[in-house]
Amino acid sequence: MIAYLVTIAILVCVAALVGLALNLQWGQAGLVNFGVVGFVAIGAYATALLAPQIGWLPAMLVAGAASAILSAGLALLSIRLEENYLAIVTIGFGEVVRLVILNEGWLTNGALGIPDIPRPFAALGRTIGGDTVFIVFALALVAVVFVLLEAMARSPFGRVLRAIRDDATVTAALGKNVFALRVRAFAVGGAVMGIAGALHAFYLTYIDPSQFTPIVTAYAFMAVIAGGRGSNVGLLIGACSIMALLEGTRFLKDFVTVIDGVQLSALRLGLIGAGIVALLILRPQGLAPEPKRRAADLLPTEKGGV
Amino acid sequence: MAAQLFFNGLVTGLLLALPALALTLVFGVLKFANFAVGAMLTLGAYAAWVANVQLGMPLTASAAVAAVTVAGAGLLADQLAFEKLRLRGSISLLVASMGVSLVIENVCRFFFGNASRGFDVALSRPIRWEGLRINQEQITIAITVAVCLVAVDVLLRFTPLGRAMRAVADNASLAAVRGVERRAIARLTWALVGALLGLAGVLAGLDRSIDPLIGWNYQIAIFAAAILGGLGSPIGAVLGALTIGVAEEMSALVIPTNYRQVVSFAVILALLLFRANGLLGAKAARK
Repeated sequence: MIAYLVTIAILVCVAALVGLALNLQWGQAGLVNFGVVGFVAIGAYATALLAPQIGWLPAMLVAGAASAILSAGLALLSIRLEENYLAIVTIGFGEVVRLVILNEGWLTNGALGIPDIPRPFAALGRTIGGDTVFIVFALALVAVVFVLLEAMARSPFGRVLRAIRDDATVTAALGKNVFALRVRAFAVGGAVMGIAGALHAFYLTYIDPSQFTPIVTAYAFMAVIAGGRGSNVGLLIGACSIMALLEGTRFLKDFVTVIDGVQLSALRLGLIGAGIVALLILRPQGLAPEPKRRAADLLPTEKGGV
Repeated sequence: MAAQLFFNGLVTGLLLALPALALTLVFGVLKFANFAVGAMLTLGAYAAWVANVQLGMPLTASAAVAAVTVAGAGLLADQLAFEKLRLRGSISLLVASMGVSLVIENVCRFFFGNASRGFDVALSRPIRWEGLRINQEQITIAITVAVCLVAVDVLLRFTPLGRAMRAVADNASLAAVRGVERRAIARLTWALVGALLGLAGVLAGLDRSIDPLIGWNYQIAIFAAAILGGLGSPIGAVLGALTIGVAEEMSALVIPTNYRQVVSFAVILALLLFRANGLLGAKAARK
């Protein structure tokens, strides 16, 4: 039971990281990325390949960097495209990553996957319990990423991204380099997805291509829509509630005998789809809408107090 | 060898033509890329499988069942989801179509599991002609698609409905002023698109085994075909489909067949970079 809760908590952390990244790209900058899973997979594989050689921290940083570079590359090629086209290019990218991982066995071990990925603080884990250490590590990682992204959202960079999302033409007319800013937003999002992939690899200690299906992308969209596009706090709430609900249904398998495992997972995935549509229609602003920041809040108040 | 691959490519292209046409029609009339094309194709394949294998109907009747089922699903999706989001812009519709895609795919998985299925059709010897191996299925695919394409062409060009669809695609507000109701045209478009995807599902099921991902596996190629022809252009979609089909099959000569899908992706990327409006010209793809 405890082990099960730990698993859910860590899956929530991974989903929260992916969601935070998508929230930057789609929520704040307005760039649709249907290839989320490709970037997560790149991060996971970079970590799995490098962690045994160079240690977990450098491997995780390389994972983030690799994912960011590929993100920036894809963005350089495609970010000017209208959203329908950007969506298809990114979904295609996700598929290409999957094919490469499946077929380049010399590097990725193909469908067999890569086992024995070392966990961070493994030595410490042996003395006080691996799960405790890992959950603290996962939560700390989410906290650090959250603080950084929230600071970014409040910074001039975040502001100009939202301006671009709301009206790119006006922002360009104000002298902002819309193209470069979009590429940068995409790259930062990619880095966070890569780190999410690293966390995924660390936790499972074994990765194979079947873990990286478009469902990862769907989860991320669901979390962003549920939380409220553009709101990082909302995203965390969204990711927690969605993942807890979805993973909680795995429990049902032990009690419900009418339907089998495949049906249960089909039910779960179908519910995500229905949830995405329902939330878009019923609550487009999400559970915790993006905070409206007024110009006045940014200026120092004259009388010391509002 | 090359001639055989070219021929196979043309048939694959014809198979892609129906879903590519469906994608382009939705994009033209309703202004969003429908990511549920693959899933709707899957639904068509399963609907025909139920009629054919479980109810023992002949394949032609099963195809009709598939067309009607998917048309119904399209109308339902429009009623429940797309209609309500129509004014929210294409991103919302796009993401919603991804949700619809998940729902349809998993409804199929829920009822039929992950196992591969096949239609109950008699095995037949391939015909040999001028050194080419031609399967019975390939002939069926070619004839069905040709008939559908002529029918859609006649519909779009010569009937009041086709005129109304083209009017809405061109300029919905202007069409509304002239008394063309967008709501009704949207419904009819979904019915037509659903029927096309249902038939495409049956043909895909003839070509390979039916599983919940059968449509998803065509998804990138379908988009490549429609984009190649210029999203929104029906004739372009058909030509694009033929080109992609041939390119995918012929690529076997130079790259491992595992990477066939990469060909479609490369075509999309190259095209968007160098000729963003597609071969036959379409709405601007760049911001």
